[in-house]
Amino acid sequence: MNITGNMAGLWMLLALGTLILTTGLPVWALLIGIASLFAAAGLATGAVDINILQALPVRTTGLLENDLLQAMPLYVFMGVLLQRVTVADALYASLLRVFRPLGGSHALAALGVGAQIAPTNGSVASSSALLSRLVAPRVAHLGAAQAISIVSVAATIGVVVPPSLVLLLLGDAMLMAHLEASKLPGYLQTGQRIINTQDVMHAALLPALCVLLLWALVAWWKTRNLKEIRPVAPVSRAQAAIALIAGSAIVLLLAGVFTGKLFAVEAAATGGVLLVISTLASRSLSFADWKAVCGDTLQLSGALFALLVGATTFSLVFRLFGTDRWINGQLLGSTLPPLATAALVLLLVGLCAWVLDAFEMIFVVIPLVAPVLIARLGDAQQAAVLMLLILQLSFLIPPMGYAVLMARARSGLPAIPNRSLLKALWPMLLVQVSVTAVVFALPQTVHWLDAPAAVSTGAPTLSDDEITRQMEEMSKASPADDDSVNAEKK
Amino acid sequence: METSSQAAPAVPTDGAFAKLCLIFSFLALPLALLLFAQWPLRELLQAYSRQANDLGQILFAFYVAVAITAASRNHAHLASSKPIHQRTHRPHWHAWAVLACTAPWAAFMLWAAWPLVAASVVSFEKFGETLTPGYFLIKLAMVLMVLLVLIDGLVQLMPPQRPGTKTP
Repeated sequence: MNITGNMAGLWMLLALGTLILTTGLPVWALLIGIASLFAAAGLATGAVDINILQALPVRTTGLLENDLLQAMPLYVFMGVLLQRVTVADALYASLLRVFRPLGGSHALAALGVGAQIAPTNGSVASSSALLSRLVAPRVAHLGAAQAISIVSVAATIGVVVPPSLVLLLLGDAMLMAHLEASKLPGYLQTGQRIINTQDVMHAALLPALCVLLLWALVAWWKTRNLKEIRPVAPVSRAQAAIALIAGSAIVLLLAGVFTGKLFAVEAAATGGVLLVISTLASRSLSFADWKAVCGDTLQLSGALFALLVGATTFSLVFRLFGTDRWINGQLLGSTLPPLATAALVLLLVGLCAWVLDAFEMIFVVIPLVAPVLIARLGDAQQAAVLMLLILQLSFLIPPMGYAVLMARARSGLPAIPNRSLLKALWPMLLVQVSVTAVVFALPQTVHWLDAPAAVSTGAPTLSDDEITRQMEEMSKASPADDDSVNAEKK
Repeated sequence: METSSQAAPAVPTDGAFAKLCLIFSFLALPLALLLFAQWPLRELLQAYSRQANDLGQILFAFYVAVAITAASRNHAHLASSKPIHQRTHRPHWHAWAVLACTAPWAAFMLWAAWPLVAASVVSFEKFGETLTPGYFLIKLAMVLMVLLVLIDGLVQLMPPQRPGTKTP
């Protein structure tokens, strides 16, 4: 078997998966190590051109000057800060008071906090850490399985609700994937302009709201008759004021993003600055606390950025072997109907997301499979939303789903068998599968909230800037340049 | 997959690294401020928004250049999920394995980037769109990132000092 042929990238993926699961080594180091090893083998056999490999420093510099990635430390910072200040506590206490007449108030309040906090949080891990501290002890009386299921689903809300970091980065990955898809044979949507992050946010909002509302309904139905523990202390005026201000600010920022008044990054930055000002004004953190917040932010940002550097190296070598083109050829040349191929790709994404986390998916797996998915579905926004929903679904399937794994590890609740957890989670999973199926079958569901120019139905009407940008992107013909990160980000 | 922030105590010999990480950790605050400022600068003042973005890029570049090593030293990188008690004391072969993974890459990056970085620094390269000075700093940040990864990989091979041993 020739390990430096077209299929070399598959061997790279196999080696990566095996070493991740068996060694416990940092994923970013493994990405770089495996890429280096295969690149060396490729150079030795002449399969890899050293001149193209020398593009690596340029690509890495491209990451350092990427507008969108500048927001990453900011999101991480907000996630870390929210774990130490009382904003989320005030939101939870106030929502508990609001939902008390309905029954099932703890579960509803948990989902409410998840919906408000998760979009501004750095990741599923950050949301899970916050909700495990805040919500898990308060819903423990519902039983460990119910409590873990509530924390898990609430932690994944940020995957689909804008302007979360996952959604921003996926939007960026989809922009690149759409450009690649537009060059594939059989690509039909030549009139659709290349989507950007804003388009993905618009497309995801309605399905996200559907999931959230149905989850709330399920949570209320399951917990409405269970004995509720009343809060130890009533909601203070200060808590109510904090909740009102924070809740209003979040809603206003989301509205600003949705209406296009604010870029998502600027909305997140505004939220972050407001959070810092309110924390400084209330003197709720000491200097040592601020040091810890900034230190944790640096480490977690470093972990995410390292993954991106590793994925950039890995994907360059992967593409130098031509494995991406080989995969595209196999899938596009399949005798299956286009929708069946798309379903197969989504299943593959789901399986990968079951063992990987959101950032590994976005940086490593999605860039490889998204172009084919877009080409087969013929709709980049639908493809993006389906992938978000599939990621969310996979994170919730025990025992390997990331959100479930984190909730189990961090909530401090008693260990429970997978069967019990699955029993508690299945209605939520059913909701997720149903919404995913609806989006798959009815692509128009992701276009109901489109900005007027998001999808053109006839001849494309592009701005001069857009034409220039797309021409620049199209001119990058070499595989080394295909996933350049220097396109429009916002 | 799981991050393991603060899973392991700092190695006593890493005073310089610790100070570097502490100083750079506070860059998150001006970075957030600069990202926020672009909105009022663009909408209200209608000026300096791009310059704020350029400055933010320089800060971001140096921030993440140090952040990768900060994550390495605190075992915060994503790795396959293991209970925390297993993660606090990592086997020594991990340090060798990480160095084997990253050192060839770092060496190649330094070799391949050198002509680009040298030319950029010598000409004090500016940002393309705004002509704001300082673009060469982003390329220097890339070199810093790679150098720190390499140096930290080597330092991690040293056995940790026992508690009570004086640090230099």
